[in-house]
Amino acid sequence: MSSSLSFGVPIAKVGAQEGGAVSPPDGPRLDKPRVDPVSFVFLSPAAILLGGLFIGPVLYAIYLGFTNLQLIGLHAIHYQFTGLANVIDLVDDPTFYQSIWSTLVFVVGSGAVGATLLGLILAIAMQGSAAPARWVGNTFAILAWTLPPSTIAFVWLATTTQSGIIAMLVGMPNLDLLYQHAMLFVSLANAWSFAGLSLIMFSAALRSIPEDLYEAARLEGASSAQCLMQITIPMLKPTIVTVALLMMLQTFGNFTIVYLMTGGGPGNDSNILPVYAYLQGFKFHKLGYSALLGNVMVLLSAILGWLFLYFGRTRR
Amino acid sequence: MNKPRSFTVGKLISNTTVLVITLFFAIPMLWLVLASIDQTASFQFKMPVPTVNHYITAVEAENLSALANSLALSGIAMVVGTTAAFMAAYVFSRHHVPFKNPLMLTILFLSGIPISILIVPTYKMFAILGWFSLVPTGVLLGVTGLPFQIYQLKNFIDAIPSELEEAAFMERASSFQILRLVIFPLTKPGLASAAIFGFVNAWGNFLIPIVLLSDVDQQPAPVRLYGFMGSTSINYGAVAAYSIVYSVPVLVLFLSMSRQFKAGFSLGGAVK
Repeated sequence: MSSSLSFGVPIAKVGAQEGGAVSPPDGPRLDKPRVDPVSFVFLSPAAILLGGLFIGPVLYAIYLGFTNLQLIGLHAIHYQFTGLANVIDLVDDPTFYQSIWSTLVFVVGSGAVGATLLGLILAIAMQGSAAPARWVGNTFAILAWTLPPSTIAFVWLATTTQSGIIAMLVGMPNLDLLYQHAMLFVSLANAWSFAGLSLIMFSAALRSIPEDLYEAARLEGASSAQCLMQITIPMLKPTIVTVALLMMLQTFGNFTIVYLMTGGGPGNDSNILPVYAYLQGFKFHKLGYSALLGNVMVLLSAILGWLFLYFGRTRR
Repeated sequence: MNKPRSFTVGKLISNTTVLVITLFFAIPMLWLVLASIDQTASFQFKMPVPTVNHYITAVEAENLSALANSLALSGIAMVVGTTAAFMAAYVFSRHHVPFKNPLMLTILFLSGIPISILIVPTYKMFAILGWFSLVPTGVLLGVTGLPFQIYQLKNFIDAIPSELEEAAFMERASSFQILRLVIFPLTKPGLASAAIFGFVNAWGNFLIPIVLLSDVDQQPAPVRLYGFMGSTSINYGAVAAYSIVYSVPVLVLFLSMSRQFKAGFSLGGAVK
């Protein structure tokens, strides 16, 4: 058995090995790191699972996107490759453009702005607040984040619908907010559900800002506002970028809350891409077209993921 | 030293901000709790007429079996995902394998992909293979959490000093023995949080079961909840109670592990 432990050398993190292999300062020289066959045995369960039920299906979806596969009917069993027919439909589909727009509004407005800002403001405010307030704020924000999406959808449906909590608070019981401003309240629900995660990340970043910066500022007679604008925000900038991108990724995948609250409606007001893809496949039975919409989503999340890595990289 | 006044104003602003945002988070949850114990529950926010009937309804026959289905799905997902992730994470953390970096980047990328893109191809696959049942669906749910779990565990194993393994290696322990007798005991806290992530991830998933489980007897809790929400005459109290019963296990698990989760979310050092 030859195990190829890297003696005393920490394995470099992803992306830090561009400079070739790490040469150990002591211990045996490993010009060519030996590959232990056991590694592949250990990797096999994850490889089989990810290959068979994740990467395989993603590749299969690329093919299905160019077929006329249907959920039921003639083309459910005997479907065929139809080349660019679906792509032509896509380019001529006004709902698709509307859906892309809704998705952008949702991902940027609710994820990059809403959830990120909520977490940021709460994290900063908690620094200067009394201990009980801090505890309560933390607890409820993180509770909201941990609730399952179906529960969140139900709670927000109850909050925003006719004679719901908000309607009663403003004294207009017949106000159906969710129907009138579907996108706004779906976005609010989504921001509500992820702000806890952004709070956790910002709190950790705030704790890592050296205290002596603030002490120096105070000695110079800086006000709280100045401390905030001149120290806290600049120090948090990299974290803000990271969190905003993570929130965008998470928001982009948030099918459940939107589908359960509005089903993509009214009209196509809140028909974000994941919901639209689902409806095309399982309501209008156009599985091939649905797969193509899914492929568009893969491209979009690849862009987001690349941005996330790129900005994460430049920080170090 | 008397502090400048701005600091007290700052404190006031801070406390007010925290309380306002906290209310924004708390009020919907408060409504949920009140509605679940209110005889005459509606969407309105009011003092309840106390009752426990809704909770009794929530754990009646079909509602309870939906929760049991959720438990089965999440349990399968947790075991499958955590086991595979642990073995893979150990290799990524300690062994030399060709193309390690591209592989890790691929896994990181997979953890950011929306799961809903898997629905059409897996539906077609499951249809061909006749897999529309609990076990394959549970395995698929496990796979959806796998990329993140690999990262979580890799970060955890990275932090374990390698001297112990070296000692075991000197003693001619096989790789399997090192994994089982050295790494496994040291990784237990990390494994617990990865397992909880896998469980919670599956427990909350609505899309995969609603598409892949056509049999009403196999529906998990979120699909049942959706059925309640879609009906014309909603019994708000019962739905509220049911969603609380459905949410509590996750909250308990999550909050018990919140500290390790913060470590897990450092995504390859993205958050320092």
